[in-house]
Amino acid sequence: MKQHRTLWGTVGPVIVAIAAILLLLILPHKHTAYRSVELQKASISLSTNVFKGESMKTHALDHGYVPFFGSSELARLDLMHPSVLAEKYHRSYKPFLLGKAGTQSLTHYFAMQDMTKQLRNKKAVFIISPQWFTKVGQLKAAFSIYYSPLATAQWLLKAHNNFVDRYAAKRLLTMQAVPATSIMGQAIEAVAHGHHLTHAQRVYLQLRLRTLHSEDKLFAGLGIQNKLSRLKKDKKKLPKRYAFNRLDHLAGRIGRRSTTSNPFQIDNYLYRSRLKGKRIKAMKNKQVKLDYRRSPEYADFELILNQFAQSHTNVLFIMPPINAKWAKYTGLSMRMLKQTNRKIKQQLTRQGFNNVLDLTQAGNVNYFMQDTIHLGWRGWLAIDQVVRPFIERQQKSPHYHMKQMYFSKKWQQKIVK
Amino acid sequence: MINLQPYANPVYFVLLIATLMPAMIGLYFGKRFKAYEAAWTFVFLVVTFGGEKWHQGVALIGYVLFQLLLVYGYQRYRQHRNQTSIFVTMVSLSIVPLVAVKLAPVLPISQLSFFGFLGISYLTFKTVQVLMELRDGTIKTIRSRDYLRFLLFFPTVSSGPIDRFRRFQTDEQQVPDRETYLGLVETGIHHLFKGFVYKYMLGYLFGTLLLPQVAHAAMLCRHAFFGTGLSVPLILYMYVYSMYLFFDFAGYSLFAVGISHFMGIKTPENFRSPFAAHNIKEFWNRWHMSLSFWFRDFVFMRFTFYVMKKRLIKNRIRISQVAYLVNFLVMGFWHGVTWYYITYGLFHAVAIILNDYWLRFKKAHPNFISHNAVTESISIFITFNTVCFSFLIFSGFLNTLWFK
Amino acid sequence: MDTKKNVMSILEELTGSNLGDKMDVNLFESGLLDSMATVQLVMELEEKCQVSIPISEFNRQEWETPSKIIAKVESLQ
Repeated sequence: MKQHRTLWGTVGPVIVAIAAILLLLILPHKHTAYRSVELQKASISLSTNVFKGESMKTHALDHGYVPFFGSSELARLDLMHPSVLAEKYHRSYKPFLLGKAGTQSLTHYFAMQDMTKQLRNKKAVFIISPQWFTKVGQLKAAFSIYYSPLATAQWLLKAHNNFVDRYAAKRLLTMQAVPATSIMGQAIEAVAHGHHLTHAQRVYLQLRLRTLHSEDKLFAGLGIQNKLSRLKKDKKKLPKRYAFNRLDHLAGRIGRRSTTSNPFQIDNYLYRSRLKGKRIKAMKNKQVKLDYRRSPEYADFELILNQFAQSHTNVLFIMPPINAKWAKYTGLSMRMLKQTNRKIKQQLTRQGFNNVLDLTQAGNVNYFMQDTIHLGWRGWLAIDQVVRPFIERQQKSPHYHMKQMYFSKKWQQKIVK
Repeated sequence: MINLQPYANPVYFVLLIATLMPAMIGLYFGKRFKAYEAAWTFVFLVVTFGGEKWHQGVALIGYVLFQLLLVYGYQRYRQHRNQTSIFVTMVSLSIVPLVAVKLAPVLPISQLSFFGFLGISYLTFKTVQVLMELRDGTIKTIRSRDYLRFLLFFPTVSSGPIDRFRRFQTDEQQVPDRETYLGLVETGIHHLFKGFVYKYMLGYLFGTLLLPQVAHAAMLCRHAFFGTGLSVPLILYMYVYSMYLFFDFAGYSLFAVGISHFMGIKTPENFRSPFAAHNIKEFWNRWHMSLSFWFRDFVFMRFTFYVMKKRLIKNRIRISQVAYLVNFLVMGFWHGVTWYYITYGLFHAVAIILNDYWLRFKKAHPNFISHNAVTESISIFITFNTVCFSFLIFSGFLNTLWFK
Repeated sequence: MDTKKNVMSILEELTGSNLGDKMDVNLFESGLLDSMATVQLVMELEEKCQVSIPISEFNRQEWETPSKIIAKVESLQ
């Protein structure tokens, strides 16, 4: 029997499918509650998906999680890592880790735009690495990986014609993550020039935001790396009761056992896979010329500070050290580093950010670092001594007084002696 | 000014199909709106080769005028005379721009690359084919507008599949009846959606998610195995790259064929389950078919014909071996003048020559090995791995691994 | 019937098997003829059947079985 083709029979299924997808994306979704195990998985996964999305982050922060902003050190999930300690000793807070290699001030500034409500009058921990403050600052390639259209659309819709927003828009344009000819790109251009968004731009952004929200809610839970078993394994190694001296001793022992292959106290696995052989030789005196004192990053960092001031967030800033043995080998200038740290600290304290944990002198402490620049065993534990009381105890509410000067070229290039 | 790259994102498909609607409605009612199709092609050419790519647009215009002149001139000439030297001159002239672009990276004259534009190879294949058929007399006359329509047929302009003029012209001239046209729309839709799965899901999985990771892992082992860099991650890279290459290009080809069907043109397919091939010879009948058939018909067959007719080589086996070498070396050079593309060509020539020895041996000893599911699977397995290894050469990754 | 006899003997020589009872077998898909043998086929046909077959004329679909080849050669004579 020969079947006759009809127009509807041919194109009908496609039309139905497209209509279904559009409905799925445009109709508002009821906020699905995530199970606590899902949130826990997300909190230590460091998945780009979670970082860029909204629903997981905001949901977690609404349910007892505290944001820990940072970069590559967050991935050093050993037994003294804040997430492990909080889980083992049933702390009243749970860290939600935000950041990965390549996330610097500008990425963080835009990625936090979809959780400003959750930051309001809350506490946060922020690990600020001197390695961010290079001559070029935020790398375009890294920015585009962590660029979130959702957070950016949200930021655009509430952007004002003020110095901070114009500055942020200009920096966003230089990152070239958004095509300049797209509607979003043109809206950013408008903000950068102090223009209002047109009505059409607003309507488009709202519609786009709606579909992005739907996508986020539908797909946020997918592709999250499951590190819970690692967390459980690390947890088992910890003693039942929390006692600093015992833990510190344990951290030192495990650190010693894990760094037997080299004189730098760098983790064996990392040393073997990234440095051993020719590569280590090539690193000798390789960092003599590195300079973190002059960088556009100082102005990007000021964006973050402005965001915290605006949402009245009480932030504990942590300034980690650099492995001193490593720094000596690579010829990194201690004077330069000292001046960098002083400059960052000055920018913080002169604007009222007084909760600063300065560990920059601890680079020589045994097994403080897991490798070259990343906190490890005893370092994490040292942080815990300050993080825990900061979050668990009532704090004086902060008084910030922001100064536009910190955006200036002059400050970016200034050397604080 | 906006610039859109072919089949790059969902918006492109929406624009392409929405603007194609009038022509499709016309075909549904048994009419081909040639003027509309021409205008549509023009607009999309401007959008593809305009804006930031304007220099490509200029190169395209120059190229098309030049080729038009050659085809028109040769056609006029061929009506009265048929000298081999003129034919050879014409074909050589028509490939000059392509040769210049391919040589640009290795010659000190970097200005040569200004002749280049997206799809120059595919347009050259089409023109050479028309010139050869004019020579053979299978195309007697060709009107400029027919030639241009064939050359600049938009769905396939950037990367094929390479159609044949007479086949294209037949489709173009006759409007399919409604039943047939709906069938074409149906297969077109099927092609598009299969293409989405191939290019945007599997191609993305292999190319964007996995490839950088295995590349990184392989680079970390670059000193492994006595400094050759041979390592498990390198082998993984080979497979991941092969999958990426297939799904990306097959996906693209499906788009091109799908959109062609919407326009009532049955552009030939480019892939037919290539990894199910049980020998290298069969692989080339399944992989990038429109290209390998073009090479078969216009390089391999003509070369062997010439050699046999002039009795340059007596031994027929030797002729085919030389022809394979010529065929695949030309293909290698066409991919680009780098050691790895040329090695890729040589590798396939050698593989197919060895394959021929085996086939002859089997023919002479029919009872040597029986054909069953097991031997078939083994041959598919061997062919697949041989092909993947050739793609590792083709990828240029060994160049980075060893010399960068 | 001269053409048929000629064609069949050429095919037998090229494929190494008698195709008398397989007039509709697909010579290319079954692997009986490859590109090289195709060129030989064209040359032999030109020689023995007094036809001229330009390579461009050789569209595989029109030449894929013994019967098709015979029909094609007859149409060209």
